[in-house]
Amino acid sequence: MSEFAWLIPAVMALSALTILLFGKRMPRHGAEVGILALGVAFVLSVLVAVEVFSANVAAVAEVEEAHSVQSVWEVGGREVTLVVDAAEGGEAAEIPAGVHEFRLEQSTELSPIGGGFSIEAGTRIDGLTAMMFLLVSFVSLMVHVYSTGYMHGDPRYTWYFTLLSVFTFSMLLLVIANNLLMVVMGWELVGVCSFLLIGFWWEEKANSDAAIKALLTTKLGDVGLMVGVVGLWSEFGTFNITRIYEGVAAGDFDQGLLTFSLLALFIGAVGKSAQFPLHTWLPDAMAGPTPVSALIHAATMVTAGVFLIARLYPVYQASPTTLTVIAIIGVITLFAMGLLALVQDDVKRVLAYSTISQLGYMVAALAFSYTAGIFHLFAHGFFKALLFLGAGSLIHAVHSNNMSDMGGLRKPMPVTFATFVIGSAALAAIPPLAGFWSKDEVLAGAFGAGGYSGTLVTVLGGLGGMITAFYMARVLWLVFAGEFRGNGHPHESPAAMKWPLVVLAVPAALIGFVNLPFDFAHPRGFAAWTMFDLAYFEGHPVEFNLLLALGTTLLALLGIAAATAIYRRRAAVANDPMLRLGLFTQVLQNKYYLDQLYMGVIVRPLRDRVAPAAYWFNDHVLDRIVNLAGAGAVGLGRVTYRTVDQRGIDGVVNGIGSTANYTGNLLKFAQSGNVQLYAGALFVGVFVLGVLFAVA
Amino acid sequence: MWENAALTITVFLPLAGAGVISLIPKAREEQARTVALLVSVLAFALSLAILGSYYLGGNSPAPGELSFEVNTEWIPAIGANFHLGIDGISLPLFVLSYLLTFLCAVYAFHHIEDPGKPKAFLALMLMLQTGMAGTFIAFDLILFFIFWELVLVPMYFLIGIWGGERREYAAIKFFLYTLFGSVFMLVAFLALYFRSGVGTFDIQELTALGAAGEFRGTFGLLAFGGIALSFAIKAPMWPFHTWLPDAHTEAPTIGSVLLAGILLKMGTYGFVRIALPILPEAAAAYAPIIAVLAVIAILYGALCCLAQTDLKRLIAFSSVGHMGFVMLGIATLTPIGINAAIFGMVAHGIITGMLFFIVGSVKDRYHTRAIAEIGGGMNQVLPRMSGLMMFVGIASLGLPGLAGFWGEMFALLAAFNPAPVLQEAGYLPLYRTLMVLGAVGTLMTAGYFLYMFQRVNQGVAPQRWRDAGLGDVSVIEWGTWLPLLILIPVLGFLPFLVTGITDAPVTELFNRVFG
Amino acid sequence: MPADVMSFDWFALAPELTLLTTALVVLLVELFLAQRHKQFVNPIAALGVLVSLGWVVALAVDGTRRTSFGQMFVVDNYALLFKVFFLGTALFVLFLSYRYFAEIRTYQGEYYFLLLSAFTGMLLMPSARDLVMIFLALELVSVPGFVMAGLRKFDLRSNEGALKFFLIGVLSVAVLLFGLSVVYGFTGTTDLAGVGAALAESEREPLLLGSILFVIVGFGFKISAVPFHFWAPDTYEGSPIPVTAFLSVASKAAGFAGLLQVCFVAFEPVADVYAPVLGVIAVLTMTLGNLTALQQRNIVRLFAYSSVAHAGYMLVPFALVRPGDVELNSAFFSAVLVYLLAYSVMNIGAFAVVTAMARQQPDRLISGYAGLGQRAPGLAIGLSLFLLSLGGVLPIVVGFWAKLYVLQATIIEPTAGAIALAAAVVVNSVIGAFYYLRLLRITWFDPPTLTDEIRPGFALNVAVAFLAAVVLAVGVYPQAFAGFAELSTLATATP
Repeated sequence: MSEFAWLIPAVMALSALTILLFGKRMPRHGAEVGILALGVAFVLSVLVAVEVFSANVAAVAEVEEAHSVQSVWEVGGREVTLVVDAAEGGEAAEIPAGVHEFRLEQSTELSPIGGGFSIEAGTRIDGLTAMMFLLVSFVSLMVHVYSTGYMHGDPRYTWYFTLLSVFTFSMLLLVIANNLLMVVMGWELVGVCSFLLIGFWWEEKANSDAAIKALLTTKLGDVGLMVGVVGLWSEFGTFNITRIYEGVAAGDFDQGLLTFSLLALFIGAVGKSAQFPLHTWLPDAMAGPTPVSALIHAATMVTAGVFLIARLYPVYQASPTTLTVIAIIGVITLFAMGLLALVQDDVKRVLAYSTISQLGYMVAALAFSYTAGIFHLFAHGFFKALLFLGAGSLIHAVHSNNMSDMGGLRKPMPVTFATFVIGSAALAAIPPLAGFWSKDEVLAGAFGAGGYSGTLVTVLGGLGGMITAFYMARVLWLVFAGEFRGNGHPHESPAAMKWPLVVLAVPAALIGFVNLPFDFAHPRGFAAWTMFDLAYFEGHPVEFNLLLALGTTLLALLGIAAATAIYRRRAAVANDPMLRLGLFTQVLQNKYYLDQLYMGVIVRPLRDRVAPAAYWFNDHVLDRIVNLAGAGAVGLGRVTYRTVDQRGIDGVVNGIGSTANYTGNLLKFAQSGNVQLYAGALFVGVFVLGVLFAVA
Repeated sequence: MWENAALTITVFLPLAGAGVISLIPKAREEQARTVALLVSVLAFALSLAILGSYYLGGNSPAPGELSFEVNTEWIPAIGANFHLGIDGISLPLFVLSYLLTFLCAVYAFHHIEDPGKPKAFLALMLMLQTGMAGTFIAFDLILFFIFWELVLVPMYFLIGIWGGERREYAAIKFFLYTLFGSVFMLVAFLALYFRSGVGTFDIQELTALGAAGEFRGTFGLLAFGGIALSFAIKAPMWPFHTWLPDAHTEAPTIGSVLLAGILLKMGTYGFVRIALPILPEAAAAYAPIIAVLAVIAILYGALCCLAQTDLKRLIAFSSVGHMGFVMLGIATLTPIGINAAIFGMVAHGIITGMLFFIVGSVKDRYHTRAIAEIGGGMNQVLPRMSGLMMFVGIASLGLPGLAGFWGEMFALLAAFNPAPVLQEAGYLPLYRTLMVLGAVGTLMTAGYFLYMFQRVNQGVAPQRWRDAGLGDVSVIEWGTWLPLLILIPVLGFLPFLVTGITDAPVTELFNRVFG
Repeated sequence: MPADVMSFDWFALAPELTLLTTALVVLLVELFLAQRHKQFVNPIAALGVLVSLGWVVALAVDGTRRTSFGQMFVVDNYALLFKVFFLGTALFVLFLSYRYFAEIRTYQGEYYFLLLSAFTGMLLMPSARDLVMIFLALELVSVPGFVMAGLRKFDLRSNEGALKFFLIGVLSVAVLLFGLSVVYGFTGTTDLAGVGAALAESEREPLLLGSILFVIVGFGFKISAVPFHFWAPDTYEGSPIPVTAFLSVASKAAGFAGLLQVCFVAFEPVADVYAPVLGVIAVLTMTLGNLTALQQRNIVRLFAYSSVAHAGYMLVPFALVRPGDVELNSAFFSAVLVYLLAYSVMNIGAFAVVTAMARQQPDRLISGYAGLGQRAPGLAIGLSLFLLSLGGVLPIVVGFWAKLYVLQATIIEPTAGAIALAAAVVVNSVIGAFYYLRLLRITWFDPPTLTDEIRPGFALNVAVAFLAAVVLAVGVYPQAFAGFAELSTLATATP
């Protein structure tokens, strides 16, 4: 099946074209095409996933088989057989020859680029790819369905669905790529789609501002990405990911250049995955239609950075420095950005900041544990999409993003309420919901790794969990409890929007169980499915730390309790204590003044000062020089003509051009010292030449 | 037979066409358009035939060889031969020139700026075509020079008669500036002729001599200086670019398209075909300087674009940056860099040519180029036109999957690992720094395009434009543009359409000259 | 001195004699013509020119090297080339003159007489292999010139120019004569080759060098080289335009013909002395000429100064001459020839157009050419070609190849000086292009100020068309030209 995996992006490309060309004339204006295509894509993804995952599980089983030791001895005349797993306890195990994780690579040479090098177009199917396929196609499908309701009646309905298809295609391309150039390709494409979708309602300047901000900020990261890709190329002479793995394994590389390249790549990830300090675009990106926020700015595109790091995990292993940097950036993001969610009134912004901080978790996790990182990515994708779609449903009902216009929505919008609660609980990491398992794995990974950064991540991660729980509880109270503060009569959203919520709620609640970290359904789950390398998987079994789990859960509950304590009293809703903490609030509400910093120090000076200055320089210096050269020649001509030439003749023959207008009697003129002047000139000339001769 | 005559016929057909057009009586002047179209179609077909037989007909020469070669004595007195030929380096640009002229001929049905006079206009355009195409296939320095100069006069008149307000200034500036460079080039050519010992203007022979180290030392440096100056002005390379914004801005639409599409490439092509191969040592000496200037051009061009208030001028300045990438690729002296450069030339020819078409059509409708005048909201007024503009703009800012990407990407790639000669000379750190700066340049490019979109395409359109009832993309315009619009993604996804042709000769050339 | 000084070769002298007779015939016939028929002397003169051209062709076919008056008068390829070219010039000057003089109706007989006798002098010039003969020829060219320049005697400018021309001419001749006499005194011969031989031996007395300098100065006037060019603009402006064409082309060419002989043959051994001087003069001449031309609003003055500049280009090869190096020298020699031929074609062409325009705008202001492109496309195209050619930067016109030859000459064996000269030529080409282009711009881009149509008349149309054709044809296939020049290499010119 996997050899046909390329069909998955292909089908989306096809749908994009179809919608663009014929969408307008279709009964449902193209939506049906997108949904159909995604249906197909999803089914294919499932098939691929089944194949890949089962193959991986089988491989693991074989290893276990090979290492299980049977010891038999007598007890009271009866033989007792004891089976002991050698891999228990996690020391890396021997991998028997021929057994390896599932990996299918198909590639065709795309073009020579000179010097014997060439670029390829190829697909790489492995656990990670299959996992991303599932996530992307599923969430995208839900969003498509949801959008038919949410975007109903929009003038650019068809265009919207075209973009969704293009985006999904690009994302899948990025995922399936077997070489970094294709990754870059998909990466940039999703960027542009995000730009077009954030600025979807471009009549509003604010929206196009947000769009531009998003694209430019991520492109700033892409500079790093490009440098990193090129750096790796010059290190290993290829863009092919497997070749690069091999190169690293062979160990023939220059550590400095490698670290440089990996850091550069990480900058790309920082931009795309909205890590500190390039995160500022994501909250503004909420200007786009809410389903878009769910799909692009929560579940899929923003995880591209995380995906990239995971994709190059073995390479990153070769550079501890980079891993530390990753951990630090991640932890800063997850903690500091979580705080920002506390003071938001716009429900989407709350979710946006929580997304950033969750992305922080993923990034930080990847510094310690591959599985933890991508598992959180996976789980988060579902419940964050759910939350956004829920938020969308709320906004759709009350025609406002602000929680101050909501309240008391539990009764009129039961489905939204129920699903939103599930999503929030999952996000707040309440066992046994998805978020609990994934986040716990992150912290466990960090804790297990220990060391400075490990501890830091564990501690701040735990506290971050509490903050998360707090602000989600705050949202729940402000939105669903109490009286309705907006105007009009809010009502439950249409079926097209309701059902996706319900469907998404299921994985949001249960997906954690695919990767239970202890032994009753042992780690044959997610970790095995998505491993990039059998040896690594065997070497890094998931450790469950009960105390840690209890601790984090406790913190989460604490957060909820605190929020409840504050917000269940109605008074608090009107004037939110979070907005009354003086300096604290002020700093948070100004987003640590980062936007002002960027605008004031980079964007505005560049656009309003440097650029005009450069242009001025161009017109008044460079161009002036050129014109002066011309004018100079003319001027020189004037001088020569007036002084050298005309004085040689006489002052009377003045006037360039016609001399007809001079007065006086001709003969008088003709004899007026004129000739002497000639003679003089003549002999001057002769004299000059004489001097020249003397020289010569 | 075809083998020998093909290039000659293809190159001089447009000139003949120009002659025919000039014979059309004034009364039936309008028919000039038809004639021009026929001629350009025929010429384009011929060029495609050459391309085809190069691809399929197994007519692609062994590396270092030429196909369709003609080499006959021409001016024995000065040892100049009539030497035409074509190889992978020439072919893409050669064909591109015919494509664009053909499209311009189509576009001429849609619009010719005041004072009309299609007869003169089209005759000049076809003359121009001969000059452009000839430059890419001439393998004799004098012949090359002739075609090179032949381009000046028609373009001078196109700008000077059909141009905008400051047309005369722009035309003269264009003419004199280019001229200034080319006389130095001529002197350098003569110097090569005598220095070669055997007294030849033949590019291939000179290349062989150059590879053999004939033109070392000060002589080489001087000669390269002379030649490079001319090419740098044409390319244009910072800081010799100041003729470009005026010329491009004032020129009539078709003029700008051909200027941006082909004329600029003549300079960069000259570097690849003449300057580098014949004077490798000097090239290695100059390369770092060129690279630095190229990167300056990239950043500087972007900044100037950011500051523009005139739509057409903005596009014009964008060329400075894009050609910067081309020059950067060339300055790496690596096959990858050169391939990137050629790809970049083709891509820029298509994309920027297309942009000038669009801007021209926008001006036809709004009767202004001032961004403030247009006042945004073109999405509402001219949805299709605006969509195309954004599409091409995005292509121009180098989105992967569209033509603009490969040229920039591989130029940067090459800049990260420049030629061994340069690495030994200890320029590696410089080049890597430049590479990073170049990458930053891509960011700034994106910056000014997005800023343009916001000010022109997005937002709410002023009432008067919405009431003006401006017509969206017309049939003729679709006809003119579709080929380019299709080529943009095609080249984006199938870069080998170009690199497949260029790679072999480029790699061979560089193994021979710099290997 | 050879004994057989009086030995005559009528065949060799036929062209000159024919021209001379025609001159006399013209003078006579004109007496018996009614006022309104007087212009018919022009065809007669043309006929005479054609006949003598026929003689020249016959001589060329015959091909043997003939001499008369001992070695004084030689007919060889070099001479024939120039004769053909002078007669061609004469023909075109006649074309230019026909309409013009028919209209101003003054002294037609005299004019044509003078013209023809001047051309007789020119025919002598390239054949002259003797200082005396050269001097004679030069006088024969100059003196009629003085008168012709003043023919428009109802016009102050004309008289003024004529007077200046005359006074300056006399001065220069005096100087030249003085120089020649001293040279003779030193070398004891007037035969060019002999002088050359003698100079080779004799050591360099300051006085001798001084005399050489005087000779050069003398020619400097004829070819209007800076700083002896003052007379040119005023004279050109004042003279009837056909005369201006004559002065700017024919008499200048005659000067060069003489200078070539003197510098490449007679003074060749002391080239190392005069070459640098001429180099400086060359640079001065081209630079000053161009810079000054930039300033002109009067088309004739513009062409006057541009012709000064071109003299500068033509002097460049002189500045490269090396004693004894025949190989190189002959290359330089042909460079001058080629340039001279090219220059005259395009310059006469330009003056033809000016003549055609003269009627519409007596003030001869450049601004009067505005919109010529619309008023008379034919003339405009012709003019554009001549201008581009004079600019000498566009390969498809003859002017470019001429400049190419000069540049080539500088770079064959690049010395510091040669490079400097090359640079000067290059820079000047650009400066030159500047004002030619400005005229081009006015012709095509500016809206016409006058609307009445221009009827140059048959003769002029033919002249313009033909010259334009030549400019273009040679521009595309310069080989034709180059071969022409190679007919008379230095080798063939030296006895």
